[in-house]
Amino acid sequence: MTALATSGSGSDANTPQPQSPRAALQALWNSVMTPRRANIALWAVLLAALPPITERAMPHLFTSGKLQTLDVAACFAVAALALNVLVGYAGQMSLGHAAFMGVGAFTSGLIVGRYGLSMAVGVPAAALFGGIVALLLGIPALRLRGLYLAITTIAFGVALQLSILRIPWISGGNAGVVLPRRVAGNLQLIDNADWLAVLLVVLLVVWLLDTNVMRSKVGRAFRAIREDEGVAQSFAVNVVTYKLTAFVISGALAGVAGALYGHTIGQANSDPFSYELSLQLIIMVVVGGLGSRSGVVAAAFFFQVFPAVMPAWFNGYQVPIGAALLMYTVARHPDGLAGALREARERREMRRMRGGAGDDDDEDIEERGRLPKLPALPRPSTLPPRPEVAGGTVLSARNVSVRFGGLQAVDDVSLDVPRGRIVGLIGPNGAGKTTLFNALSGHIRPQRGEITFMGQDVSDLAPHRRAALGMSRSFQLIGLAKSMTVLDNMLLAQHVLGRYDIGSALAYLPRTARVERELTERAHQAIAALGFERFTDTPVRSLSHGQQRIVELGCLLVTDPELLMLDEPSAGMSPGAAENLAVRLRELRDEQARTVLLIEHNIPLVLDVCDEIYVLNSGAVLASGPTETIARRPEVIGAYFGEAVPA
Amino acid sequence: MITALIIGVVQGGMYGLLALGLVLVYKGSRVLNFAQAEIGTVSLFLAYWLVTEHHLPWIVGAVCALLLGAAIAMVFERVIVRPMGSAPRLSVAVATIGLLTLLLSLELLQFGPSPRVLPPPIDGLGLHIASVYVSPTQLISLGAVAVIGAGLALFLRRTDFGLGVLAAAEDPTAVRLVGVRLSHVSAFTWGVSGALSALAALFIAPSLGVFTPGVIGAPLFVASLAGALLGGMSSLPGAFVGGIAIGVLEALTKFLVISRNLSATIPGGESIAIFAVILIVLLVRPQGILGRRAAA
Repeated sequence: MTALATSGSGSDANTPQPQSPRAALQALWNSVMTPRRANIALWAVLLAALPPITERAMPHLFTSGKLQTLDVAACFAVAALALNVLVGYAGQMSLGHAAFMGVGAFTSGLIVGRYGLSMAVGVPAAALFGGIVALLLGIPALRLRGLYLAITTIAFGVALQLSILRIPWISGGNAGVVLPRRVAGNLQLIDNADWLAVLLVVLLVVWLLDTNVMRSKVGRAFRAIREDEGVAQSFAVNVVTYKLTAFVISGALAGVAGALYGHTIGQANSDPFSYELSLQLIIMVVVGGLGSRSGVVAAAFFFQVFPAVMPAWFNGYQVPIGAALLMYTVARHPDGLAGALREARERREMRRMRGGAGDDDDEDIEERGRLPKLPALPRPSTLPPRPEVAGGTVLSARNVSVRFGGLQAVDDVSLDVPRGRIVGLIGPNGAGKTTLFNALSGHIRPQRGEITFMGQDVSDLAPHRRAALGMSRSFQLIGLAKSMTVLDNMLLAQHVLGRYDIGSALAYLPRTARVERELTERAHQAIAALGFERFTDTPVRSLSHGQQRIVELGCLLVTDPELLMLDEPSAGMSPGAAENLAVRLRELRDEQARTVLLIEHNIPLVLDVCDEIYVLNSGAVLASGPTETIARRPEVIGAYFGEAVPA
Repeated sequence: MITALIIGVVQGGMYGLLALGLVLVYKGSRVLNFAQAEIGTVSLFLAYWLVTEHHLPWIVGAVCALLLGAAIAMVFERVIVRPMGSAPRLSVAVATIGLLTLLLSLELLQFGPSPRVLPPPIDGLGLHIASVYVSPTQLISLGAVAVIGAGLALFLRRTDFGLGVLAAAEDPTAVRLVGVRLSHVSAFTWGVSGALSALAALFIAPSLGVFTPGVIGAPLFVASLAGALLGGMSSLPGAFVGGIAIGVLEALTKFLVISRNLSATIPGGESIAIFAVILIVLLVRPQGILGRRAAA
């Protein structure tokens, strides 16, 4: 099998047709049994065979009780992976995951225990029910930022444990439900080693689903949300939907974990599904490393197995010592132990890059202060041809007003951005330029006014919807997910091009793989165009500010947007690069026919590249028109170089 | 019915105090302190140890309990929260889970699981209000809560430092620029919240009768959180009023369930009522009853 697997590497569905039937079969086998799949199959066989064989070979070493401890640990590992999707990846806090386990255990208990069906019905039903409950809780709680999900879930957990699971017609009172390990009819997996084999295979499946999610656009959206919801939105990620998705996946998997746990212990009332268990799960996920699969699974096994093998003199003190260790660990390594390892690896990587052969190579952007040519990628095949807009106006705003409490930040502003032009937005600090940008991109809802983009009224659209229509914006502070790599940011930027649904992401269907390959290729092209190949797998936060700006520009262009909105792109660039920026912006307009709306303080740059200029002062348009006329208006000169600023 | 109302106000007073402490820390450090209730329980055990086992006057025990509550919170702030700086808030919250576990296990090690009693500060008869017996401790505590609440409000509104505390959540840089040290603000909010939770524990002790380690557990913590949420998560008076409202709601639900003989059909109905309130607040008025809608 391994030989076949290795020979199958690199074979795609579209390789040339073989001649003989034997070769055709060989090719088919190769395309079905890729190295990755062969690897997975090997693992599945190993995990399923190991416990029963070990138990029978060493019956004294692996007593039923010890195996039960491992069974429970495997269930907690599934639960911790479930919570990790929500907390580790998407950065949302749930304090009620024990309750989702309870939902799962009782669902499977009623189906298998009371109605005598197979676990093959009960466990999937537990997943379904866990997911539904998560959806119902998530809809009110996840529309809001902050700790609302934590509060909702903890209250749900308490209500479930103290009330719902004790209602007699659900649980039969305090005795709870019986959960036999029924496969079918009278066939039950009574032996704890056989059951462990099943649990380990389920753990493997959950692990794979988790891997699939994380290598798709869904996982990138989760990580972007955890990092910065505003950035995620400007890359066309529907933040609320994806937070809900993470919660539903997490709730469904926790339901599975709870059902398995119930079948492990055989009978369950509401007692085990407590607030304390929810806290323990959080501890596993955080100590394990917030997003690290292996760390989380290791932590789950450790917390379950360690107390069982601990020396007796330790007894009584393990909890306070564990608690103190927990505080120490999170205080020293807020990203968990796996995060600490990751950081150490990154540091080594950076030292290697700094000290290595790349000396003169690394300096070209920083030292010589050159901005690389910005990528001109072909239009993505998934997008329709560039639409025509009436009157050639890409973006127009009518009478937009934004008020913060008593401050009129934007006052009745109207503006038009014609296609193929570079329009500048200037004005002193506090004039309302960025606020106007936020209103145009949807990050702020203006009190009054209408915004039209590509001939469509977008005034009521959320930022991700506007981004999906082709509005690409940058931020004064870099609008990238800083802990993600350059490649991941390029992929994240193409979120809107990832035309597949969440189910295909979970299963990682061939279609999903093909779309992802296309996106990756495009990302590599963009990175190559920028000359950033050696930074492909570098986290953005380890790049210099100027380099981050360049990556950001690349990300904005990678989707072939209709409009680029740049908020002070020259800020933090070296003078050389800023000068060079003018050339690059003109190239965007002249060679790629792009439309740009630009906020800039660098007036020579604005006068150099812009076709039209709007001058904002105290929230209102002071003047607007072609660059040549604006440059001579006395009130503009006054607003800029007036009394306040010494010449 | 009236009975339920009075019980609710007394119980709600404790939720209000805990909610006040939660919101104070949340405003200051953006952290939800899961150990909030447990700090109070530890302090209650200190009062028990001094008063019941060493026969000191009640007031000595109470003052020491308040000091211990403040001290635990301030030490935690200094040793764990401040060095974590701008680390993810989730990790800081997990550190408070560590503190919760530590305190709980220390209580168990020192005092064991058997129930304890703290004698009330004043013997003698309390008042009968509408056929409800309100103990003198509860009366005094209600007064103390009102005085402390008003004092805290005055301190926060009328002194530069207090205003700095309030402003620090909105704009830490501006607060530093006017000369208020953020580290002092942080220490202050944690310290006061620790003392508040000790006060809440002392306040609830007579109603509990006996107490064990972890007595202010998840249900009471959830009720306080619901109070904080009802008050808008950032409003101090809102948190207190919200806490009392939750206490009343809880007592009324219990009363209804018992009077309709539903306690077998729906056990723990009050936890469902609190959960429902949280959902309704989130759906209808996420800014809370006294909170202001934050700017987008």
